[in-house]
Amino acid sequence: MIRYEIGIVETRNVIKTIFETYGYDFRDYALTSFKRRLEQVITNNGFKDADGLIDRLTNSKEYFDIFLCDITPETTEIFRDPSLWRTIRDEIINDITKGSTRTKLWIAAFDSGEELFSLAILLKEAGLLSDVQLYASVISEKTINKIKSGRIDARELEVNDANYVRFNGKRNFSDYYKIENGQAIFDTSLIQGVNFIKLNTVYDNVPGGIKLALFRNQMIYYNQILQDKVLNQLSNSVVPGGYMVLGVKETLENTSMSNRFTLFNDPEKIYKKKTT
Amino acid sequence: MYYKAVIIGGSAGSFQVITRILHSLPPTFPLPVLLSLHRLKHIRSGFVEALSIKASIPIVEPFDKDQIKPGRAYLAPANYHMFIELGNKIALSTEEPVNHSRPSIDLSFVTAAQVYREKLIGIILSGANRDGAYGLKKIKDLGGLAIVQDPAECQVKTMTEASLKLTKADHVFSTQEIIKFLQNIKSTAP
Repeated sequence: MIRYEIGIVETRNVIKTIFETYGYDFRDYALTSFKRRLEQVITNNGFKDADGLIDRLTNSKEYFDIFLCDITPETTEIFRDPSLWRTIRDEIINDITKGSTRTKLWIAAFDSGEELFSLAILLKEAGLLSDVQLYASVISEKTINKIKSGRIDARELEVNDANYVRFNGKRNFSDYYKIENGQAIFDTSLIQGVNFIKLNTVYDNVPGGIKLALFRNQMIYYNQILQDKVLNQLSNSVVPGGYMVLGVKETLENTSMSNRFTLFNDPEKIYKKKTT
Repeated sequence: MYYKAVIIGGSAGSFQVITRILHSLPPTFPLPVLLSLHRLKHIRSGFVEALSIKASIPIVEPFDKDQIKPGRAYLAPANYHMFIELGNKIALSTEEPVNHSRPSIDLSFVTAAQVYREKLIGIILSGANRDGAYGLKKIKDLGGLAIVQDPAECQVKTMTEASLKLTKADHVFSTQEIIKFLQNIKSTAP
């Protein structure tokens, strides 16, 4: 893993440039992981150094969108933490869809589509996909297009398949994609009704009336200031009695949200919004 | 010389070694112990419990942003990378695996090296791949102390040999010697 290394001053310079040029504010991102992502972007794109990246960022809006896609840690797995998805299927989904039409569910995080396809497959197998309204917030236009095309990195198929088996799905995982030119193309009918929301670094454009918000492994990339800000927005969009799911190593303890939610399932970090 | 942290990386064949080390540390051990060990990613629980039997210091799987405290061991959670963040905190990440590993020993070691610099002790144990070799080099380059388990004693020696190839280690120790070395660390500040 020999790679270009940048210092904290250079990292702050890149952040400053992005903020001044595009208004995207990465100042409250967790420093170590953001610095590492920058190093990766610089190495993978063959920039000479941080200044090379800064030049490119200031001169090309098109490149900035690609950068947004690269800088946000997008690699996860379909059905990552299968036990969580089993819990959503067995204990939550009927509760939130029962007696209501167009239940709103929200993937409140930019990623590469794995969370969205996991949720869509779960809903499809429960016979509920056409009865709900799915929202997905994504930071980069490029990522949105990639998700819409159904392209998921085929290198991960083995992992995804193993997760699906542990999730105890109803079919074969391979029913949901086909291979074209060595690439897996997922069934895009699964995500046809999804409402994609272009996200800025601040959550200023959030849907209301949400009954289930998935926000897994996103807070880990923020510092405490941004965590509180984003959690506040998320909390406002979730209805009383609705659910919010964090990553298994994230917690609402020590945040300003701890009094608005109760812990519904500890190992899976599923929180339920209080009704009063 | 005083130190601020010990970081230990291990993979195949390291479980017994790490268990012996943890069991031998006194309850007053003055440094935090950071553990980046390869493990089955879909089995989230049980590992901490197994390591904790007979250990006299608390062993935890940290949450993101947990403050690192002396006299505790922090085990990188299954399927997360564990970074050391400025301000002496744990930062977790779900980024892509490095060298097919998540947690990646290299990533934990490199970020710990950047935070603790010459006040860090890095230890590489038995393992079947090369993860950790670059990280140990980074510790050494930034002035820290590099210790490698004697390959002759390792169940699988790929990892220790790769580390020795890349870095001039300060010590090549048997498990018993590692234990003795750690037991002799008295305090963190002059």
